[in-house]
Amino acid sequence: MLREYLKQEGVFLLSAGIILFFIGLGIARPDLLGAASSVVHAAILDNFSWLYLISVFFFLAFALTLALSRYGTIKLGYDAERPQYGFFGWVAMLFAAGMGIGLLFWGVSEPLVHFLQPPPFINSASSDAASFAMRYSFFHWGIHPWAIYTIVSLSIAYFSFRRGMPALISSCFYPVLGERIYGAAGNLVDVLAVFATVFGTATSLGFGALQIHSGLTHLYGLSSAISVTIGIVLIATALFMASAILGVEKGVQVLSKLNIVLATAFLALILGLGSAPYVLNVFTSTLGGYINNILDLSLQSYPFAGFDWSRDWTVFYWAWWISWSPFVGLFIARISRGRTIREFVLTVLTVPTLFTFVWFAVFGGSALHLELEEGADLAAVAGEDVSLALFAFLEHYPFAGLLSLVALFLLTVFFVTSADSATVVLGSLTSGGSLIVPTYKKVIWGLSLSAVAITLLVTGGLSSLQMMAITAAFPFMLVMIVLCYTLAIGLSQEKVQ
Amino acid sequence: MFEKTLVPVAYGERPEELMKIGKILRSLGANAICLYHVNEPGSFFRGADLSWLTLLSEALEETGLNVEAKTGNGHIASAIADAALLDGFDAIYMKAKRRWHLETMLLGSVSRDLLRLADVPVFVHKVRPRLPGSEAELDRRDLKILYATDLDETSNRLLPYVMEFRGAWCHLLHVRGRMADPLAERARQEAVDGELHAVAEELRPYFERVTFEQRIGDPAGQVLYVSDQIEADVVVLGRKSPAFLFAPMGDTAERIVVGSRASIFLVPQPGRRNAS
Repeated sequence: MLREYLKQEGVFLLSAGIILFFIGLGIARPDLLGAASSVVHAAILDNFSWLYLISVFFFLAFALTLALSRYGTIKLGYDAERPQYGFFGWVAMLFAAGMGIGLLFWGVSEPLVHFLQPPPFINSASSDAASFAMRYSFFHWGIHPWAIYTIVSLSIAYFSFRRGMPALISSCFYPVLGERIYGAAGNLVDVLAVFATVFGTATSLGFGALQIHSGLTHLYGLSSAISVTIGIVLIATALFMASAILGVEKGVQVLSKLNIVLATAFLALILGLGSAPYVLNVFTSTLGGYINNILDLSLQSYPFAGFDWSRDWTVFYWAWWISWSPFVGLFIARISRGRTIREFVLTVLTVPTLFTFVWFAVFGGSALHLELEEGADLAAVAGEDVSLALFAFLEHYPFAGLLSLVALFLLTVFFVTSADSATVVLGSLTSGGSLIVPTYKKVIWGLSLSAVAITLLVTGGLSSLQMMAITAAFPFMLVMIVLCYTLAIGLSQEKVQ
Repeated sequence: MFEKTLVPVAYGERPEELMKIGKILRSLGANAICLYHVNEPGSFFRGADLSWLTLLSEALEETGLNVEAKTGNGHIASAIADAALLDGFDAIYMKAKRRWHLETMLLGSVSRDLLRLADVPVFVHKVRPRLPGSEAELDRRDLKILYATDLDETSNRLLPYVMEFRGAWCHLLHVRGRMADPLAERARQEAVDGELHAVAEELRPYFERVTFEQRIGDPAGQVLYVSDQIEADVVVLGRKSPAFLFAPMGDTAERIVVGSRASIFLVPQPGRRNAS
């Protein structure tokens, strides 16, 4: 009986055990946890930052090759199946997956920080730095993150909808592991996916909590003590746990859709109230620079000057996207049943990317406009505290207080909806791919997410969050390389006309 | 299969060794043997006295075989492959020689070149079956044959060769990749079992025992593993040109020939004419 339970719940027990150990270590010996994660993080960055760059470029090339090859016509489902959602509904949901705390957190601050602190071969706060800042913001949030999501979601969708296997990462390993996917080897793959999801989501939740805290401090002069940030995490946890446990998913879905509409309106408002022609010029020229330099950007780690810059930004982002990929990948897979591989890849790679470009052009471009043309000192604020940049930026617009409140509302809802969805995904990953997740698992994963976020915030704040995202993503990156291989095997067995 | 066999020889070959080879070939059905020596263009021994070749022929004739000696010129492996094809030989016999890996890497190997270039079947004699003593002869009824088949159309061409070995035990092996899902895998497994069963039925009149199995994994590795497990005397396999991307890793047949302790009977792809 016990043996059967252990076998059935192997992924859940193992991953929950590891996360619990991590949280326990963070509480009992934060110094030891900090030192251990620093060593692992440094070892990964010192030896494998090139692997992150080359792997992500490979994922992009692989996804495009599949889309444009004869396999592009294969359906993610049975041949006669039709897409479950209409094209526009599907695209809207892709937007929802792509938008989140990150866009609000980094939309203003990333271009400003690159502008102020570019690699050593570019003069700080120069026009070159502005161009570089926008180009790299596009690059970090552009087609590459979506290529990462594409690999995971395409694999899950192919193996579960077309090959009839459970929606688990381990299912995609059948061509290499065979029946061992039901044993320790398969469990290990799923544990790595859980591990990446927990730390990737906790990183985003940590960013969200930091920014909500900064917003409240900025608006209401709230204390900047870490205990307030922890309090924010706890309140948000209570909200998303209530939603996950009480089964108010429909309410959350409505809230989520409202949030997207509100975010789009927020974007339009900033564009309308600011210098639209300047922003549109920033968009156009950055898009041109991005397309023109995409190969160089993809593989550039600046080994001769600016290596640290590349490690701190590009490698961090790639790791962060990779750690998010099981979560986003599962979501995108679920809504894409019935699409062809070509339609899926080309839409996922282009539509959300274009939206993100517009977002960065509007927020980053407007911030740079204020900085360069109107003498605002936003870059210095962002350089000091990235979480404060958005609110300092909104100060330069009419109804700044109201806009800041809207931003806070958006952040809170993104926090709650992301954490709620992550809880369900983690529950599903640890319940053999089932969508019906027992409440106790939702509770455990919800609490774990918050506890990990708090532990990371307490042990080192922002840098600690970034460090864990990179560390947790590393093994999953290797899993993703194998996913490409197994997907190729699966597709090669298809009879394509 | 071995009725008219070409045996490449080089200066320094010992008559007693060649006589053992003769016995083996005779027990495998050889009637006539051609000792073939190639003069390399830059060789130190080029144009030297070839009386040693006559001595070898005379020694081999004592085993009761019709023996002739011939010489050729040019690149060794190409010349042997050309002679075998143009003079209508049934097979080429080669005794594998132990060479250091570095030496093979630097100088290349005639055997490997020949495996790549030959258009007639090549028998590479390795550790098994053991060369008989001076009196004893190899009893082909004791032979254990491992037939590695791809189960495609070209593999059918190998069947008559396998049948001619007529040994004690023929073990059929099919190595393949795993299908992408359990259902497809089960269906493939059943289909392959059916095909192997059909081939086994065709071979049953020629062997005391016929068995079959299918394995998943790297073909060369699996063939070598099974060959060692059953202590096969001869591995019969077909040879295909490797796909472009896999060429640098060496082709399956070549890897089997290098790693095997059992002898290899390698049948080239039909209709393939090499650039030799």
